Amino acid sequence: MKRSLGVLIALGVVSGVLAAGAAPGGSWDERVFGSHVDFDAVAAAGPSALPALIERGRELFKAKFTTADGAGRPKATQAIIPTKRKSGVNPPFSRTSGPDSNSCFGCHNDPIEGGSGDDVANVFVSEGFESAQFDNIDPSFSSERHTIALMGAGLVELLAREMTADLQAIRAEAVAHARATGEPCRADLVTKGVRFGWIEAHPDGMVDLDSVDGVDADLIVRPFSRKGVFTSLRQFTINALNVHHGMEAVERFGVRWTGSHDFAESGVPDAITPGDVSALVAFQAALPPPTVKADLPADWRAAASEGAKQFQAIGCASCHVETLPLKSLIFTDPAPYDMAGTLRASEAKAPIRIDLSTFPFARTLQKNDKGEWLIPLYSDLKRHLVVDETVNALGNELQAQRFVERDVFLTPRLWGVGSTAPYGHNGAFRMLDEVIVAHGGDARFSRDAYLALDPPQRDSIVAFLRSLVIEAP
Amino acid sequence: MRSVFGLLIVLLAVFAAARAAAGPQKPLGDVPVMHEEAEAAGIRSVYDGPWEFFVGGGGAAFDCDGSGFPSAFLAGGKNPAKLFVNRSKAGGPVQFEEKPLDIGADPKLLQNVIGAYPIDIDGDGHMDLFVLRVGGNLLLKGGPGCTFTLANKEWNFDGDPGWTTSFAAEWEPGQKFPTLAIGHYVDRSAPGSPWGTCEENSLYRPQPGDRPDYSVRTPLAPGFCALSMLFTDWNKSGVPSLRVSNDRQYYRGGEEQMWRIEPGKTPRLYTRADGWRHLSIFGMGIAEGDIDGSGYPEYFLTSMGDEKLQKLDPDEAGRGELPVYRDIAAEVGVTAHIPYTGGDKRPSTAWHAEFADFNNAGLLDIFVSKGNLEQMPDFAAKDPSNLLLGQWNGKFAEAGEEAGIAGDRKGRGALIADFNLDGCLDILQINRGSNVSLFRNLGAKNPGEHGDGPPLPMGNWTEIRLVEPNPNRNAIGAKISVKTGTRTQTRSLQVGGGDASGHAGWIHVGLGTAERAEIRVQWPDGEWSASYRVFANQFVVIDRTKPQAAYWYPGR
Repeated sequence: MKRSLGVLIALGVVSGVLAAGAAPGGSWDERVFGSHVDFDAVAAAGPSALPALIERGRELFKAKFTTADGAGRPKATQAIIPTKRKSGVNPPFSRTSGPDSNSCFGCHNDPIEGGSGDDVANVFVSEGFESAQFDNIDPSFSSERHTIALMGAGLVELLAREMTADLQAIRAEAVAHARATGEPCRADLVTKGVRFGWIEAHPDGMVDLDSVDGVDADLIVRPFSRKGVFTSLRQFTINALNVHHGMEAVERFGVRWTGSHDFAESGVPDAITPGDVSALVAFQAALPPPTVKADLPADWRAAASEGAKQFQAIGCASCHVETLPLKSLIFTDPAPYDMAGTLRASEAKAPIRIDLSTFPFARTLQKNDKGEWLIPLYSDLKRHLVVDETVNALGNELQAQRFVERDVFLTPRLWGVGSTAPYGHNGAFRMLDEVIVAHGGDARFSRDAYLALDPPQRDSIVAFLRSLVIEAP
Repeated sequence: MRSVFGLLIVLLAVFAAARAAAGPQKPLGDVPVMHEEAEAAGIRSVYDGPWEFFVGGGGAAFDCDGSGFPSAFLAGGKNPAKLFVNRSKAGGPVQFEEKPLDIGADPKLLQNVIGAYPIDIDGDGHMDLFVLRVGGNLLLKGGPGCTFTLANKEWNFDGDPGWTTSFAAEWEPGQKFPTLAIGHYVDRSAPGSPWGTCEENSLYRPQPGDRPDYSVRTPLAPGFCALSMLFTDWNKSGVPSLRVSNDRQYYRGGEEQMWRIEPGKTPRLYTRADGWRHLSIFGMGIAEGDIDGSGYPEYFLTSMGDEKLQKLDPDEAGRGELPVYRDIAAEVGVTAHIPYTGGDKRPSTAWHAEFADFNNAGLLDIFVSKGNLEQMPDFAAKDPSNLLLGQWNGKFAEAGEEAGIAGDRKGRGALIADFNLDGCLDILQINRGSNVSLFRNLGAKNPGEHGDGPPLPMGNWTEIRLVEPNPNRNAIGAKISVKTGTRTQTRSLQVGGGDASGHAGWIHVGLGTAERAEIRVQWPDGEWSASYRVFANQFVVIDRTKPQAAYWYPGR
């Protein structure tokens, strides 16, 4: 009774205050937003507000945003910083340069909500500065990208946060050591067993970053998107709301940063509040991670077991690291490493805290002898060159993205790969064998070792990968 | 009935909007909280003295110990000038420690100081100082650990004695050492002084040799009581001209001036024939900034009463062929002609001005230091300094009171620098007759229902230092272009301008919501660099000899 009362109160808190100026419609109202989530109230309410927050996030994830909600960004581009169109008005829907979808679920639905998508839902990523409006899929204008499944995203972000903290601590120590000793100090950038190259700190405060590998020069591990250029679920959610739906979040596009409550001139001021974004973040963060397929037929189980061994033996796991250890499952929103334009921790009176260890999926996670949770994501969260002169099927893109070269990608997380065909950053590979054979560059040695295996061994790797699935809760 | 009521609501809304539009622009976006903490920071320095020290009152902010933190040399007028070494920790409260100055010469030379500018004259990597005085000026050669020695004799400089109130410097092409422009005020010994007795100004070009040699003076005449000077590339020609802002209080037949300073040639004034138009103001301080990203700088000129904001006139100036300027101060809301608070309706007296981004929004703001000359009855007695925040509609909004800088002080020069290396610009304002004000920028005002909450973090930022091989190792005269998305902001590296105040070191650019930026540098010789890609919220060092930008981290 107490609990359901608590949930009711929390629902009330989450329902929040009616959006200013919006007259409530009838019960058939098409609009998604009759009210907005109040971030401060949710944060203050503590854990009791979380189920309702996550449920609201699920509703928003599935909702088809309408013009009355502010969807469409008629005068703004898809750029992740507020950018007006040079001239003219965006059409309400543009398959190429966006807005290109009605809801998050429109693309993230395979095999379940929050998942990946069919090739038909691929997006065309472009910066949105020059040539923001384009109506073809020529790679000189955009990069075609296949939908990434969001399962386990909260755990992924937590890993990235801890890795960032480690790398920045290494840098700080090197800087201090160099100043104190008056001698240059070289420091290897290693966190959770993943090597990101090294830095050299000089006594005058300069830090040599030329040998940093697979991470940005500011040593923030950005685990989201195909190239690993987005820091947090929150940042990514705000980006996506604008790019794909033309819904502009106040914390990025509001009056504080643009001088206008309606930067995109949609006619709806302050379309998405920080609380609404938090609902979406909470839903995504709480998505259970993929698992291993249960009740495998005996032949598959045997093949998968052999395949797991081969996966390690031929070196796939040097980048597709089986597990990364995670010290804490407390997901705080806002995140610690976002910059202005995404709500930052010190901008909130109190954070929203989601203890992922209380979720059923946490019980399925193994722990190491230090008590750290082992997250089986099959990725090192590091960027690699995957193209070389002879093996270059993954080198189709022509544009760099946010300082990352065209043929460099973040190691994809293979957990759930068995449920999210097709494969590759643009979904161009229908079969697992095809995408494995496409690995060049840093992965070339593994790919060549794969090709050197006999067919049953290669097939066992496919069996292993296909056993990594996303299952309905 | 319903429709009448609805119509009434619409009418009321329209009326309210019209009223709001009529008043001065209110700042949208962050208002920085500027917390005054000079005493707590350990700074005690008062600029004071008789008539000669009604004007001036400046100083220099620069890194003198290799820590990256800017220290401060402050003029005292009749009081000795002082040096305060920065002991702050990054992100913490500002902390200074006074370091006794021993310049290896008569200590009395540190009295009668009007202001100072930092500049590495001899290219040895230690910042030197040009110290403006009533009497002979000083060239102080910087050494390790914030030490200085008088170098007038070593560098063959006779001090250009007089009443020096302005200074600017540039490296002319082919020169190892900088050319110095020195501005004088009134010749107190001339008959009829001070009325109509402005002294001529001086240009010192370095003589050939391996060390600085300022033995040859070129007169810049006529002089009209120059209170501010600035070498500025007003027309993107690659050859800076020398702008001089003059105080009409004491000149006869004078005006604002601009000198052609071409390598190897005698300086020549821009005249009517060149398109230069007559402007007569109580010129106190010149600030340069490119507020619209056009590449052509705008100039903010302080005065008594109306300030001026000059923009190249698109109809008359061609593409920088003619130096014809239009005053857009009223259009964009920066006349700042009377105090904006306190109730004093008499005209203001403005001194130092500077363009900078105080709230990291990615737009230039304008700081104007204000204060009565002494006891001029026709001008505001309580005259608070201005903080005019750039807005997205191209105008500026006054935020001085909200920001906390609107105290009862006689402001003069100012040092705009990030004293605690937290990415936010602070202000050290020198005051006549009272201690300096040190305004530490705490972040954005956080208004709440029950009073202000703790300040919020503001926009993203980058702070840039340029390095090139000698001569001119700090790249004075360079232009920095910072691109975020479809916008480009520019900064020029200059020695001069303002009210006898200058700073060297990190060049701050606010980036708003941008996480990344592309930086291009036009080096002093005119060559453009390739793009340097940098992440926000970092200290970036761009070395001309290296392909990548490097990051720097404070050691404390």
